[in-house]
Amino acid sequence: MRTRWLTVLAYMGAAISLIVAASTPFVLLGAFANAVATTGVHVDAVYSGGAIARTVIRDGYQIDVNHPVHPHALQDVDPFVQIAFRPASSLPRHVKDEVDLDGDGQADVRVSFTVPSDPNARLAGEVIALNAKYRSFRTPGSEPSFSELIARSGDTVLVRVPLNEPH
Amino acid sequence: MASAAIPRPRRRPPPFRTVSRSLLLTSPIALWALLMFTPVFRSPGRNAHLGAVVVILFMTTLFFLMMRTGKTYRWRRCFFVALGFLFPVGFIASLIHLRGSMSLSLEHMLGGDTPFCHMVIPMALIPAALTRTVIFPGSILPTATNPHSIAIMLGLWLAFTLVLGKAWCSYACFFGGIEEGFAAMPKHIRIRKIDPRLRLVPWALLIAVAVLSAALFEPVYCRWLCPFKTVTEFQRVTSVQTAMQMAIFVSLFIGLVVVLPFLTKKRTQCGFFCPFGAFQSLFNRINLFEIRFDRDKCVDCTLCRTSCPTMALSAESIREGRTLLNCMKCGACVDSCKKNAAVWHLKGTPVAVKPERARLLFLYGAWGLATMLGGSILENSLATLIGFLPLR
Repeated sequence: MRTRWLTVLAYMGAAISLIVAASTPFVLLGAFANAVATTGVHVDAVYSGGAIARTVIRDGYQIDVNHPVHPHALQDVDPFVQIAFRPASSLPRHVKDEVDLDGDGQADVRVSFTVPSDPNARLAGEVIALNAKYRSFRTPGSEPSFSELIARSGDTVLVRVPLNEPH
Repeated sequence: MASAAIPRPRRRPPPFRTVSRSLLLTSPIALWALLMFTPVFRSPGRNAHLGAVVVILFMTTLFFLMMRTGKTYRWRRCFFVALGFLFPVGFIASLIHLRGSMSLSLEHMLGGDTPFCHMVIPMALIPAALTRTVIFPGSILPTATNPHSIAIMLGLWLAFTLVLGKAWCSYACFFGGIEEGFAAMPKHIRIRKIDPRLRLVPWALLIAVAVLSAALFEPVYCRWLCPFKTVTEFQRVTSVQTAMQMAIFVSLFIGLVVVLPFLTKKRTQCGFFCPFGAFQSLFNRINLFEIRFDRDKCVDCTLCRTSCPTMALSAESIREGRTLLNCMKCGACVDSCKKNAAVWHLKGTPVAVKPERARLLFLYGAWGLATMLGGSILENSLATLIGFLPLR
């Protein structure tokens, strides 16, 4: 009797697995993706740059200043703040801007870079720290890193300013 | 006496099923394939249409042959090797189209443009569970520049895993076909003796990369050990470290994916290295389908053990009538068994009673999902290849 019930259950399970397979491309995949998004799972801030703290509007473009990113204990990246200039297509050829990173009303860094006409070309620029909390750097400089860069990503120019604090 | 010395002509075994019955059993897969590629036909693009037609015919014909001959491994291998060799073609072409290069720059990582690969899953689980953070430079939901988002690929993996367990490694993994192709090339095995303890290496690697990835907050295997970076995408070589990584990828690819499969006729990377494969083995415990051995019929000829591409059989496991946990349900042992002792089995049902029914139930799920994922990869790659042809 037990064997018979087990057999029935096994075939029911097999039928369910077939239903799962058949509904995957039509229902399950989209539902699952949306469910994952609602869990609050997010891409590591070292890649995404973290959440936007505030937006500064300039003439023809805007600057999104993100919250500082403090990498996890053994992660091989220095802490940084990401600022995003967008849309890149509306930026002047030479950008020179002073940006308040910590929201105290004082400029913390002076960012300057040249926007090449080729969107795939590397950006040359410089960040000068006006506040001891941040580090100055120039690109192209040494090895590009997640915490110290001026780079174009889609229609945005991303600048990551390293924090002058030990990791 | 004289007549006994004359070799009798070998008679071909009768087909497993009649043509009409095989066609009938193939019809759901044919319909499914048509359904899967309907969106391709709705959008413009002659190359894509041609690719879709070829893939529909290819997948349907292979399934028909499985039904007609009763054999699984040989026909599955045709699909799997085609997938393995064509996947890099389409993937590299799309990378060059989008980025102009196979190498992955920092800019692309920041933009979340990296397609998510299933290999990351075991490394990403612990950080995701503890901090809700994915340690991969992709995007959670699909974007215009990255349709292979984390959530979509995770959903596909979950569906395959529920339906197939470790059979992911023989019906879905777009890397495994490369070494299966190299393993199929030679007629004879050149290296026969393989230490069975090598089966433990993927488990050790799995534990190591899972712990290290959680500690360092980066997918360690992808960064340092993945042989398939050689034929997909890799971080742009800008330093000694990235050059070292590239050297490791290429060495592992040549050794584990090309040379050793050729010498051993085994899937050496899958069987003795891949941590994702070890992780996937765990899901064989919850999956309903498996291979079992009818001890009344088994004569311990070891044909099944020799044919197994990942050494998922041992003398003890066969004595117990089971495979080892790392069985990927490719069907090689079932097809090689001359006594019909190796059989497809649905857990909970009596062993060797209606094994063909278990095989059919398994194959419909496996081939359906293979047509959806592998088929779309094949179609994309074929469309790319057709684009290179001087056709008007």
